[in-house]
Amino acid sequence: MNFKKILLAVDASENSTRAVQYTGIIVGGAADFQIELLYVERLPERDIFPDENSWEKACVEEKNKIRSFLDQAKNILVEMGVRPEIISIRYLKSSEFYGLPEDTRFRGVANQIMQAQQNGDFGTLVVGRRGVSKAEEFLFGSVSTKIIHHSKGCSVWVVE
Amino acid sequence: MTSSARELIKEVIPSFPVRHLGKIYTDTTEFMNINYGDVIVLQGRNFLVLRDEAERRFGIEDPKYWVKRCRDLSLGERYILKLVFHEKFEQKIGPLKINCYRSPNKESRILDLIRGDYRFMQGTTLIDDAGNPVRVLEVIRGKSLDNFVEDIDMDHRTYFHEKFPEILEKFMGSCEAIKCMHDNHERHGDVRRDHIFVEYETGAFRWIDFDYAYESTENPFGLDLFGLGSILLFITGKGVHDNVSLNSSPSGREFFSSLRPDDFFLIFPNRLINLRRLYPYIPESLNRVLMHFSIGTYVTYDTVEEMLSDLRQSHKDISSL
Repeated sequence: MNFKKILLAVDASENSTRAVQYTGIIVGGAADFQIELLYVERLPERDIFPDENSWEKACVEEKNKIRSFLDQAKNILVEMGVRPEIISIRYLKSSEFYGLPEDTRFRGVANQIMQAQQNGDFGTLVVGRRGVSKAEEFLFGSVSTKIIHHSKGCSVWVVE
Repeated sequence: MTSSARELIKEVIPSFPVRHLGKIYTDTTEFMNINYGDVIVLQGRNFLVLRDEAERRFGIEDPKYWVKRCRDLSLGERYILKLVFHEKFEQKIGPLKINCYRSPNKESRILDLIRGDYRFMQGTTLIDDAGNPVRVLEVIRGKSLDNFVEDIDMDHRTYFHEKFPEILEKFMGSCEAIKCMHDNHERHGDVRRDHIFVEYETGAFRWIDFDYAYESTENPFGLDLFGLGSILLFITGKGVHDNVSLNSSPSGREFFSSLRPDDFFLIFPNRLINLRRLYPYIPESLNRVLMHFSIGTYVTYDTVEEMLSDLRQSHKDISSL
């Protein structure tokens, strides 16, 4: 397992920004690391919009926000001394995991991240953490908690 | 009102007072204007409006102006018409708040999915002239599960031995129904004890109201599972046992002071969930299911099937008491 091959899973949250900064500090200017910034697309729920147009508009806004965050995250890493050539960006579209025999939308973001970690043979997986209460975790779930409990074959950094 | 609708009303409901005959609506967008005596026309079917529905909770009547009690003027059958109302509101669940949305399309989709499955309310969607999907729901003649249980006039021990096994069995059927929704990538969205109706004629438990939608979360079934746990607690305890009810007598106060934080519900920390402390004859296997929803739990259910699997054992234990 190559611990220096890092999968840095982000959304556009402050917790993700902290995870990016933490990774930047640890990796610094070292040449033998690889960092993949990964975003797993979670489009807004269609059912919460009154019509197709307003949902599509919200999807476009969300995609733009994430693309901009990913560029920003790369800039943060570079500003912290990380070599640009070791950083890659991956935006995992929902179309890449929707429509499979068993609809995977309900499998959650954590499962998609862990799948990406396995497929890419990443030795380190980094995520941010919101710090939710037990009640919130029960009702809404938590990506970082699922990853802590279920990830295999890698080190996990959870940045709070 | 046109003469044809007037004639239909006279023919189907001769007792309806002519002076109350109102307007004909083919566009239901302005649902607040549609009142008693008006007729809603949907894809060639005429529905006479009798009244607005209302929800009764905690003794307060909350009118639902977008839900109309109606009679179909062709056969005289009663229906509930749910008109389109895109409402967004903050729902409080214990200490937590979440954004909730009313989605007519979600309910229409689920009505199509569960057609012919009488564990659920039945209905169809008709489109008005403005393109609004109006849900035309069959009326369930029965009472809500909370009223059904509360109206059983006996002490808890007798209830638990005589009535509860059958109620639990039917509730497990309701859990199976929710599992069926999840298996089809749908969520009920508003699982609560007054959203199960107990039909007078058959005694069947039937789910109603599927139009709540939420933003996506990492635990897509969490809210439905929480609702099922909450109902299980209610039917097992024959009501809610919380800091108020338990402290209402000297012996209750003494009992309450002996409880630990872990004995309470994770989402409502004033509600007792470790019911075996109160009713020691509740089998351990059933209490263990409840304790998955307690403040002290380390293990929660991710799926309805996990909960059902434990409940099947509980049901066996209860049946052999």
